[in-house]
Amino acid sequence: MNSLKELYAYREMIFSLVRKDLRTRYKGSVLGFLWTFVNPLLQLIVNSVVFSVIMRVQMDKYYIYMFVGLLPWIFFCNCLQAGTTSVVSGQDLIKKIYFPRLVLPIATVSAAFMNMLFSMVVMFGALYVSGKGITDQIIYLPLLLLLLYSLGLGLTFVFSACNVYLRDLEHILGIITMSMFYVTPILYPISMVPERLLKVLYVNPMTPMVLAFQDVLYYQRAPHLDTLVIVIAYAAIALVAGYFIFQRLQRNFVEEL
Amino acid sequence: MKPNLSQEEYIIEINHVSKDFTIYYDKSYTLKERLLFWQRNRSEVRHVLKDISIKVKKGECLGLIGQNGAGKSTMLKLLSKIMYPNSGEIVTRGRVACLIELGAGFHPDMSGRENVYTNASIFGLTKKEIDKRINDIIEFSELEEFIDNPVRTYSSGMYMRLAFSVAINVDADILLIDEILAVGDAAFQAKCFNKMKEIKASGVTIVLVSHSLGQIEQICDRSIWFKDGAIEREGSPFDVHPYYMEYMGNKISGTHENKQNDADHADKESRWGSREVEITKVELSDAAGEPKGVFKTGAPMTISIHYTNPGHITEAVFGFSIFRVDEIRCYGANTHIDRFGNGKIPLRPQGVVTCIIDHNNLVAGEYWLDTEINREDDFHYDFWKKCLKFRMYSDIGDAGIARLDHKWEIL
Repeated sequence: MNSLKELYAYREMIFSLVRKDLRTRYKGSVLGFLWTFVNPLLQLIVNSVVFSVIMRVQMDKYYIYMFVGLLPWIFFCNCLQAGTTSVVSGQDLIKKIYFPRLVLPIATVSAAFMNMLFSMVVMFGALYVSGKGITDQIIYLPLLLLLLYSLGLGLTFVFSACNVYLRDLEHILGIITMSMFYVTPILYPISMVPERLLKVLYVNPMTPMVLAFQDVLYYQRAPHLDTLVIVIAYAAIALVAGYFIFQRLQRNFVEEL
Repeated sequence: MKPNLSQEEYIIEINHVSKDFTIYYDKSYTLKERLLFWQRNRSEVRHVLKDISIKVKKGECLGLIGQNGAGKSTMLKLLSKIMYPNSGEIVTRGRVACLIELGAGFHPDMSGRENVYTNASIFGLTKKEIDKRINDIIEFSELEEFIDNPVRTYSSGMYMRLAFSVAINVDADILLIDEILAVGDAAFQAKCFNKMKEIKASGVTIVLVSHSLGQIEQICDRSIWFKDGAIEREGSPFDVHPYYMEYMGNKISGTHENKQNDADHADKESRWGSREVEITKVELSDAAGEPKGVFKTGAPMTISIHYTNPGHITEAVFGFSIFRVDEIRCYGANTHIDRFGNGKIPLRPQGVVTCIIDHNNLVAGEYWLDTEINREDDFHYDFWKKCLKFRMYSDIGDAGIARLDHKWEIL
């Protein structure tokens, strides 16, 4: 409990690290902060051209379908990549000054999360332009975002702490995320997946997560209760377990770094 | 937020704390290396701190001294919770600010003002608290004109000034400082030092690691000497420092003993002469005749010059000079100048000539001793420059080269 209280006392550090991340990411470039919006927009355009014009996928407004799944996925990837290295790359700070170590993964994940929120602005624009619009089901979105954030944060806690002891982790995770992309229903609808493989897909915590996002934003209906329950379970387990694993491992950070 | 402490309660309690470091000879970080070379993972456990117990009262200022590697900085890191002890417990009450690293988290592309916010937030300040302090911080740093420029345009001195200003304005209950008072130019250093005194006067507890004994004597109430991970001695700085300097001095003279035994290999540049009469050994000793490398200002010091005279020269002039480490000659004399005997010493095949300084009034610092054996016309038989280094210490902080006997009177 004490460490959570302390974390709250250090909230300004989290804010300022996130601010620094967002502000310095595109520092020196001509478009500057605009890149935060231009990036997802370009991504959307490329996807529409490739899949709707060249490959001619038959799904209605496929580029929206894909974009809706892609945004949480990109956030998830950022967690596993930038998040995993957050502690190791913050070693200068860790070795020389005291602060709750949890701040580092939290700040990295939060920065990635903010980036996703900015991309969502582009997504809402696309939803509007495509004629799909936004329905009442949007009220589920905050809940889904919260769950996504918790899942990403929990996993980042675990991996960022483990990465201190085993630096291979960041590279291993690079490969894992790449293959996980294909066992997450982002490019294809889950209905295409053969029955016997469904179980495999559900081991992947991002499957129900992406499904829920697609329900709310693409199909514009309330997410399946089953899906929601699984998502909540994954997120809660990741967050709680991640927290305790991190706290356990962090005592020897300085010696290991 | 400040804890309510009665005067008797301790703000820092260190109870039987030990810290070991595992030193890997060949540390492997990656999976491949771990699998392939698992048997190669030899390591050694080094006991950096051994069963340390210290209690510090609120408002007290504690100085930690000791050689490099004695465990002072590790102690500071344990206090700041950067590291955790292997056994024992550390209790600190109140906000701890650690000035081990200045400018933590500074980003070169962001303005000075933005960096103040980032840096201060790392000390655990909230936005409101920083807003309240920002003017003090900028004023103290004397960077008003530049505060909105990116930090990369700052000189390194400006950078450190800004960083120090943040650190010192955190308003901690406990301030931990590691060798960082060497910031900026002399004027700013003096300012920092005065600020430290001010902070101390306001009731903040300070733990200071420094190699500058003078600094500790000026500001600390208590000094703790760490030696090989244990407390060698503790008490008032004026009580502890003489022992510490004596120990360090013995180490210095110990290393020079070797050089003396090795007279033939002495550096050509620092020794010259015909060697018809040769200095074999030079020794400093105290009133009791005990060889020493450290002397207290005002106490007696004896210089003994051992010589051999294989060529049966009948007489020679013996002399010495004392230089401060910055090459300022403090004093020099010889038997001729002093008109000792008839100015010349009758020589035997081998012997010792001593010069007793009843009151060695040199002030605290490090000094070199030159010794020489000359003919009457200043022809050098043996001139040994920098043959010994010794150190002076003082229980008061008088300055200059040598202490002049004086007294004050009120008329």
